[in-house]
Amino acid sequence: MSIIQVNAVNFRYPHTEVLHNLSFEVERGLFLAVAGPNGAGKSTLLNLLSASIKPKSGKIRIDGKSIGSYSTRTLAQKVAVVRQEFVPAFGFSVIETVMMARTPYFGQMGFHTAEDEKIVNEALEATDTAQFRRRPLASLSGGERQRVFIARALAQNTDILLLDEPTSFLDLKHQVDVYDLLKTAQRQKYKTIVVVTHDLNLAAQYADKILLLSVAPDYHIGGVEDVFSPDRIEEVFKVKGFAGRIGTEKFFLPLGKFAKSSPIMQKQLPEQSGATDNSAT
Amino acid sequence: MPEGQPLTAKTLAVTITTAIIVLLTVMMVCAFVGPRNISLKAVFGLSSEDGVNPDYEIFVKIRLPRVILACLVGAALAASGAVFQALLRNPLADPYILGISSGAGLGAIIAVISGLSWTFWGRSPVAVFAFTTALATVWLVWLIGRATARTHVTGLLLAGVVVNAFFSALIMFLTSIAKSDQIHSTIFWLMGNMTEESYMILWFGAGCVIAGVFALYYISPQLNALSFGTEDARSMGVSIFRTQTIAFAVAAAITAVAVSLSGLIGFVGLIVPHAVRLVFGPDHRRLLPLSAIVGAIFLVAADTLARTVVAPAQLPVGVVTALVGGPFFLILLVKYKRKVGWLSK
Repeated sequence: MSIIQVNAVNFRYPHTEVLHNLSFEVERGLFLAVAGPNGAGKSTLLNLLSASIKPKSGKIRIDGKSIGSYSTRTLAQKVAVVRQEFVPAFGFSVIETVMMARTPYFGQMGFHTAEDEKIVNEALEATDTAQFRRRPLASLSGGERQRVFIARALAQNTDILLLDEPTSFLDLKHQVDVYDLLKTAQRQKYKTIVVVTHDLNLAAQYADKILLLSVAPDYHIGGVEDVFSPDRIEEVFKVKGFAGRIGTEKFFLPLGKFAKSSPIMQKQLPEQSGATDNSAT
Repeated sequence: MPEGQPLTAKTLAVTITTAIIVLLTVMMVCAFVGPRNISLKAVFGLSSEDGVNPDYEIFVKIRLPRVILACLVGAALAASGAVFQALLRNPLADPYILGISSGAGLGAIIAVISGLSWTFWGRSPVAVFAFTTALATVWLVWLIGRATARTHVTGLLLAGVVVNAFFSALIMFLTSIAKSDQIHSTIFWLMGNMTEESYMILWFGAGCVIAGVFALYYISPQLNALSFGTEDARSMGVSIFRTQTIAFAVAAAITAVAVSLSGLIGFVGLIVPHAVRLVFGPDHRRLLPLSAIVGAIFLVAADTLARTVVAPAQLPVGVVTALVGGPFFLILLVKYKRKVGWLSK
């Protein structure tokens, strides 16, 4: 059974409609990348899936139950969120930050148990952050800090991990590290992972499925082969580029009008058939 | 104390017990300090021939109530300062930031100018007016803040700043039309002023402050998560509206109690939470109770200085808290600067 079910969801801000009649499902243990141009509603979707906001209409079900039927605390035992980087005002250490993920499991007196400690240590080990467990969060580099926030999400021990552009401030090595970490969590812990990203190439490499949000009401969902076609990317992102393949990995290189190879403008990626086009119109 | 490690119940119990022992010791020592030297032996010794023991009378009726009062006010201001800093995620926040000070000040000056002379439960019109207008003002700020956004705190903070500025202007206007003797008593009150209170008032105040600190402790794990922002806290299972409402209401109420007992004592609510955070870390489960105890110790000591340095005259305790507390805090800040996240980058 699908762990996330989104059915005919609509959401609009006062002057713009961002999601129109959006429906899709995510099976348990799947890695879904959500991509699309700015303003297409990627972060809005993430906020809907974490119940920070409510849809204007439509239904969202998590693990078979309507998302609205969960209390804040029980939902936090199902869904963990890593948002775009944020530094707290006061100097919590790395391990204190990760331990906070256990808040939804704390008893009445608000203290952790040996079990909490074990889970937190595992999360620190998995993200390679155990070495600076006692350091203040603010003294870490951007990449280290992002790993700590992922450790916190892992320690929350949820079936679903939602991540909003987890690699936006990271260099290439750290971008790959973060995706490797997420893929490992997916495979070893059978986590369902939803990543909002602008990086189509990493999404193509790691995701099992891609949700490409366009200007509402258009969207496409399907396997990498289905969605990652150069024409579709050009149409959705309004940018020309060079698409190619190395082995089984696909890539798309956007080319601006001053790019040195701009005249090439080739679309070398073979067109794929069978893409699921869920345009609502 | 293992630095940077998650707090355990045992560590907390040891820290709090030690702090309470220090507080009781400081209270006891300060109660014996004053213009007239009294000793333990004299206080609990035999009465004089006429059946009166003046040292006992001074100790029980003057010194002890004043020490208890300073203890209550210091605890209330420091605990609510820590909560407002967490709630607004702003290191400059203090108990007065959301309009309590100007509201209380306005009430006090209205009471002074109108020349009322009744008492309510032994409280002067100034105290009663200050308490009422403080709570009314903070309620007004809360409503305005909520009208701008349900859980975002920027609207609340701006509403507090604007209401504070508006009421301060009203206070200045009323001061300019008041008589000179009225102005003197108002200014003295605004600087923070301790007087001896009846035990009934003290026990009532103690009940309010202790219940308040316990209520704040109850939501302290949630306040920890709130340090990372409302969205992050929500995804860690914190009910934002409930936590903010309890924190705001309780912190405002104990501040109003403190203000009605002693006027506007500055600095305690700002620097004590920071000092505790610098030394013991930011975890609110420890920060809140410890701020209350350290605030109590600090104000008991400051008030002892206020009533002894120029004896038999007395300084407003607010002057002492700023003069002594300011440099002390700066020393701590420099010494522990590497430890706090918000200073390291």
